[in-house]
Amino acid sequence: MEVTFNAYRREPGEAEYRRGVYKLDLPEDATIMDGMLKIRDEEDPNFAFRGSCLRGYCGDCMMSINGKNTFACTAKVANFMNRPEIALRPIRMVPVIKDLVFDWDAFMWNKIKVLNPWIEPQESTDGVRTVPDKVMADLRNAMSCYYCGLCDEGCTVLPVDMKFLGPAALTKAYRLAADPRDKNPGEHLKMAQQAEGIWDCVHCYEASEHCPRNIGPTERIVQLRDMAFEKGITNERVARHHTSFAASVKASGWLDEARLAIESEGLTNISGLMKLLPIAARAAIKGKAPIPYLHHKRPGAKRITEIFEKGDERGK
Amino acid sequence: MPEFDVLVIGGGASGLRAAIAAKEAGASVGLISKAHPLRTHTGLIQGGLNAPLDPDDSPESFAADTMQAGDGLCDSEAVKTFAGEAARDVLWLERAGTPFNRDAQGKLAFRAFGSNSRNRSVFADDRTGHMALQVLYEQLQRARVTAFEEWYVTSLVIEDGACTGALALGLRSGSLEAFSARAVILATGGLGRLYAPSTGSVGTTGDGQSLAYQAGAGLVDMEFVQFHPMIFPAGPGLLITEATLGEGAQLVDAKGAAVDTRGLPRHQLALATQSSNGDSAKIDLRPIGAANIMTRFPQTHELVKAMSGLDVTQEAIPVRPAAHRPMGGIETNASGETSIRGLFAAGECASNGVHGASRMAGNTLTEALVFGRRAGEAAASHARLESRKSVSQSRLGDEENRIQGITGENTSGDTPGKLHAELTALMDQQVGLVRDAAGLDAAIGKIRGLKDRYSRIKIGATTRVFNYGLTGYFEVGAMLTCAELIAVSARQRTETRGAHRRSDFPAKDDANWSAHTTARLVDGSPAVEKKPITAA
Repeated sequence: MEVTFNAYRREPGEAEYRRGVYKLDLPEDATIMDGMLKIRDEEDPNFAFRGSCLRGYCGDCMMSINGKNTFACTAKVANFMNRPEIALRPIRMVPVIKDLVFDWDAFMWNKIKVLNPWIEPQESTDGVRTVPDKVMADLRNAMSCYYCGLCDEGCTVLPVDMKFLGPAALTKAYRLAADPRDKNPGEHLKMAQQAEGIWDCVHCYEASEHCPRNIGPTERIVQLRDMAFEKGITNERVARHHTSFAASVKASGWLDEARLAIESEGLTNISGLMKLLPIAARAAIKGKAPIPYLHHKRPGAKRITEIFEKGDERGK
Repeated sequence: MPEFDVLVIGGGASGLRAAIAAKEAGASVGLISKAHPLRTHTGLIQGGLNAPLDPDDSPESFAADTMQAGDGLCDSEAVKTFAGEAARDVLWLERAGTPFNRDAQGKLAFRAFGSNSRNRSVFADDRTGHMALQVLYEQLQRARVTAFEEWYVTSLVIEDGACTGALALGLRSGSLEAFSARAVILATGGLGRLYAPSTGSVGTTGDGQSLAYQAGAGLVDMEFVQFHPMIFPAGPGLLITEATLGEGAQLVDAKGAAVDTRGLPRHQLALATQSSNGDSAKIDLRPIGAANIMTRFPQTHELVKAMSGLDVTQEAIPVRPAAHRPMGGIETNASGETSIRGLFAAGECASNGVHGASRMAGNTLTEALVFGRRAGEAAASHARLESRKSVSQSRLGDEENRIQGITGENTSGDTPGKLHAELTALMDQQVGLVRDAAGLDAAIGKIRGLKDRYSRIKIGATTRVFNYGLTGYFEVGAMLTCAELIAVSARQRTETRGAHRRSDFPAKDDANWSAHTTARLVDGSPAVEKKPITAA
């Protein structure tokens, strides 16, 4: 089968990329990886791309093929013949080092590293702790992650804040926080709720949509938030925002915006509160903050409070 | 210049375990891996790992099964050490966070696997290696081992008969560096890529075996290359774990007859799945039940579908034998010591006699844990007694010149990839599952011809940064070295035993061949000698 690959080529340090065009004769059942290896083996030893397992186990060869993000090793060439040339590109947002080789450290590994990504094993050597398989099956699901980065690629927070840990690293945080064998339970929750951590997720569910292994990275982040609340780890801006939001609606039936702003910053956070003053002043000047500021209960607030109380009761 | 007490080469299970053990023993440790550790071949292990953890089981029973599979070539002392220490090392991996499957009581579940005489393999669905690898890498970071990820070792440094470090090319920086060490551990894995199809990932190119051989170490039992019986022939070859057989899958040979697989070691199973008159053997997973397939073999289901579109819950799929892993390798004792002072080896690149002529399913990962740890501990002890010798600048300069010498305009008409393709074809045909003298002689001649052509190749490198063409050149060199060692050792062993099958010598010959082969570099070519088995 005659095919043409059009590959992204860029030398290290060069700002401009060029397109490498390669005409190949491949077997009908060839994969994109087969074609790329053929280019490297026979035409150009300098053509750089990663690949390891060759069979869909490891996630190393993830790239964009005709605009679809997938693995070169399992992608059949025959399924990409709808265009005259098959376009091979790095996935979006990754820092390219050379050709299709990009900086996994900056994209993902370094974000996992800051989590102290290990559990502290128990010292005991007397046998194995009994754990229901349900708990282990949940860990196996989270750990079936092969670090392909597609959840980070789909994340809607990362394009505006590359410092966000991202769903891949936070899925790793979940695997660690949910392991009942850790000698220091709760440590990874503290790690995950650091700045740029679980609270910065906007739960758009793109990560879960993109995950090829149905691990549900977004759901894992939500689970981490729930675990953090359960453990009383709530002293973070977004967590305080959640708590204040709920408390306000529970008390008055609707949102008390001044209270939300103040409690989100934190009552002891003097510099944070100071920053609110100009905002409050501008709001007052424009007539958006009634003076004196009084927050009234809305009609039927009592019933809303009862709904919250019922919810609290059920949650116990 | 980086300096360590212990330098580990290889980022798979054995290397990670060795590095952690050496660090815990007080050594400063560096680990070099040509791929990111989470992308190494360990992640492809599926079925499980053996240990006598069930209260009714015993190290003696485990040892007996391992010896039985080894077909008379195991070193009993090595097996005794292995079986005796397996439980503690597998429990270590469990405590460190591996999510092994549990039974209804929440205790470790044991799976029937290969020729184990009882259910002895702990497992994590069919992703055991992937889970274990993550946990090992987590613990490597916990131990604060300095990792050099995506670095390729081009040579070992041997000074005054001792290994004092290694020279390595940083894929990202493109620069060559000297790593000085008091002890070096090779844990570079297997050599599956000598064959096609095989079960090997891109990096299984026999690098460590070749490095050790070039440095003067002995390589033992190289003729024994295990063929896995159940490879789905899509792409480079997709392994269907034998654990499926233990859970009810039915194997049907190429003539359509059901195979009774119970207790059969791999080398016999591999014969049963050979094709016949163009027909293939088939594995039918349907007796396991669709629900159990999805919960216990989810990866098998996913990858068969990805590679071929077939659904193992709906139909039987063709399988054939394909090269899987070597039993032979760098000659070591049970502490990982090689014949070179300061050089250790562990895991798939090493051979300490624990697998004999055929390895039992489920022993690979356990071996990596037990002997990786032991090599790490022994290397740390050795390092305490060894004075530091820094790798000399002139040695680094010589290596730089060597690499300069192979880069430039390639007028040879050959490429490493072309030679690799020719090599895999001849290995399959003449140094594969069944061999004979004429075929092996022809293969040895062809391999030497390939080596000759290889020596004339140059790599037209525009940059050394992520130049896989350059590292691929070294890998093909390592494969040619290993191929010659396998072929000459196989030519020497005039019998059929375990994974080594000679059609011209179809019987086992205990009188002459209760012995290992050891190959060494003598005057530029391999010399093979017999070495007696350690007495039971």
